Amino acid sequence: MSAVATTLNVMQHAFRAGIADYRAIFTWKSWLAGWYVRVLAQVAFFALIGERLGDDEKTYYLLVGNSLLIAAQVGVFSLNMTSAERWAGTLPLLVASPSSPVVVFSARGAYLAIDGSLSALGALFIAGPLFGMDLPWPRVLAVVPLTLLVGLASYGFGTFLAGIVFRYRSINSLVVVTTYVSLMAACGVNVPLSYYPEPLELLARFLPLTNGLLAIRGVFAGLPAVEIVGNAALELAVGFGWMTAALMSFNRLASRGRRDGSLDFGA
Amino acid sequence: MEAVEVEEITRVFEPRRRSGTRVVALDEVSLTVPTGEIHGLLGPNGAGKTTLVKILSTVLLPTSGKARVLGHDVVDETEAVRPLIGIVFGGERGLYWRLSGRQNLEYWGALYKLSSREAKERAQQLLERVGMADKADERVEEYSRGMKQRLHLARGLMGDGKVLFLDEPTTGMDPLAAREFRALIGELRDEGRTILLATHDMVEAEMVCDRVTLIDRGKVIATESPRTLGQVLSRFQRIDVEGVPLVVLDEIRAIRGVASVTAVDGVGTRIEVDEEGATQLVLERLVSAGATSVRTSLPSLEEVYVQLIGERGMEI
Repeated sequence: MSAVATTLNVMQHAFRAGIADYRAIFTWKSWLAGWYVRVLAQVAFFALIGERLGDDEKTYYLLVGNSLLIAAQVGVFSLNMTSAERWAGTLPLLVASPSSPVVVFSARGAYLAIDGSLSALGALFIAGPLFGMDLPWPRVLAVVPLTLLVGLASYGFGTFLAGIVFRYRSINSLVVVTTYVSLMAACGVNVPLSYYPEPLELLARFLPLTNGLLAIRGVFAGLPAVEIVGNAALELAVGFGWMTAALMSFNRLASRGRRDGSLDFGA
Repeated sequence: MEAVEVEEITRVFEPRRRSGTRVVALDEVSLTVPTGEIHGLLGPNGAGKTTLVKILSTVLLPTSGKARVLGHDVVDETEAVRPLIGIVFGGERGLYWRLSGRQNLEYWGALYKLSSREAKERAQQLLERVGMADKADERVEEYSRGMKQRLHLARGLMGDGKVLFLDEPTTGMDPLAAREFRALIGELRDEGRTILLATHDMVEAEMVCDRVTLIDRGKVIATESPRTLGQVLSRFQRIDVEGVPLVVLDEIRAIRGVASVTAVDGVGTRIEVDEEGATQLVLERLVSAGATSVRTSLPSLEEVYVQLIGERGMEI
C-alpha cells in the first residue's frame, strides 16, 4: 500500500473507534432528547436576552454567535481524546506501532467536528425562525460549510490542547471549561470584536471560531462574497495552524514520554 | 543474528518532584536472546522487567547502554524495529472496549500498515487461533478477562512480529486459560518467533521458557535454562527420608552445611542443605544408619527464585 493509502486507512479506523465511543454515549434518541434540547435551550437563552433588550439586531447577533459557539465547544471536546487513550492503555502501543499516533489523533475525534456542526446548524435553523430571523435563501446554504469549518478548526485547537495537557490529567476538565469560556468571551460570540482593545482583537483572530463567525455573520448581513471568503480563508488557516501545532505537540509528547517514562504499559 | 541484544543498559528515573527519589530501574543489564528462543525475565515486582520490555519496545529510552532487536538499535532505528515486534501485556487495558474484538484487530492491522483485505484475513485467522471466532463481533467490554487476554495476544500478532514481548501476559487468567495461553506461546516459538516473557510466575517460566534471566533490583542475577538454574542452586538440595532414629538426625543436624532438619507431614523428615558437598555427607550417614527410604530432589525454579530473591520478602 502507498503511504497515503496507509495513512487514510489508519484514519478511517481511528475515526470508527471515535464513533464507537460516541455511540456508547448517545443514541439518536438521547442525542435529540438530551443534547439537542440542551443546545436549543442554551441558544434560546441568549436570544431571549437580546429580545429583552428590545432589539432584533442584538437578538440575531446573540443567536448566531451562540449557535456557532456550539460547533466550537464540541470541537474542543477533542481535548478528552488523549485521556480516553490513556484510560484504555493504548497510547504506548500506538507509539510502538509502525504508524504515527499523530495520524490517529488527527482522525480519532473528527466526529466531534461533525457533531458540533450539526448541533450548531440545528440550533441556528430551528431557533432562528422561532425568533423571527430571516434565513436568506440560497445564501444561507453557505453557512453549512462555514460551520463545518469552525468545527474542524476548533477540533484542531482542542487536539493541540490535548497534547499539551496530556501530562496534567488533573486539570483536563478545567482546561475544557476555561477554553469554552475564553472562546465565548473573546471570539465575538456575544460582544463584537471591536469592543475589545486592538491587541486582544488581534489575538482573537488566532482563535478558532472568530473568523468563521465573522464569515457567517457576513452571509446573514449580505456582505460581498470576497469578504466572506476572506474570513473563511482565515478560519481555515487558523484551523490548519492549530492542527499543525497539535501534530507537533503529539510528536513532542511521544518523544518526551520515551525520555521520562510517562508512557505506561497496561495497569 | 541474535533476536535481542542488550548491552549494559541502565535506566534511571529522576524524581519529578523535589521530595521524590531517584530510582535506578535497570543497572547495567546485559542479556542476549537467540532467534527462536522463549526467554523468561523472572523477577519480583519492581525488579525492572517492564522497564526492559519498554526499552526494547521503543517506548522508553535507556539512560545508557545499547539494545538491538534483530540487529536494529531500539533508540536510533525505531522505524526499523517497530514493524518487527509485537507487544502483549497483561490486565484489561490496551484494547478499545467499545469496538468488537474483530474491529480492534483490524484497527491494529491498519496501524501495522496492512491493507483492509489483509487485516480482515489476518484478524479472522488470529481470532480462530485464540479461540475467539465466535465472540469476534461482540464488544470487548462484554468479554471476560481471559477473553481480553487472548485478544491481547491476537492483537500483538497482527503485525506478524518476529520478536514478541510479553509482559505478565497471564495476569488474572484462570489456570486453564493460562495453560492454553502457554501452549500457544510454545506454538509461536515453533513458528520461529522469538519471545521475551516478563513474568513473576515461576511455574510459568519453568513451563515455557528455554532460558530464564533472573532479575532483581535492576540487576541480572543469572541467566540459565530453568533446569540449570535449579542445578546452580543444587547446594540448596533437599533430602526426604523416613524411619531414621532421632539420634541420627541429631548427628546430621551437626554436619556443616545442613540448614535444617524438620518433620514434614506425609514425608517423614526433610533435610535441607545449603553448602556444596554437604549432601554427600548426609547421605553417607543415612545409609550407614540403615535408612532405606531416601529421596533427594533438585529445587524447583520457584525455590531457586525464593532462595535468590526471597530474602527481601515484600520489600520493593
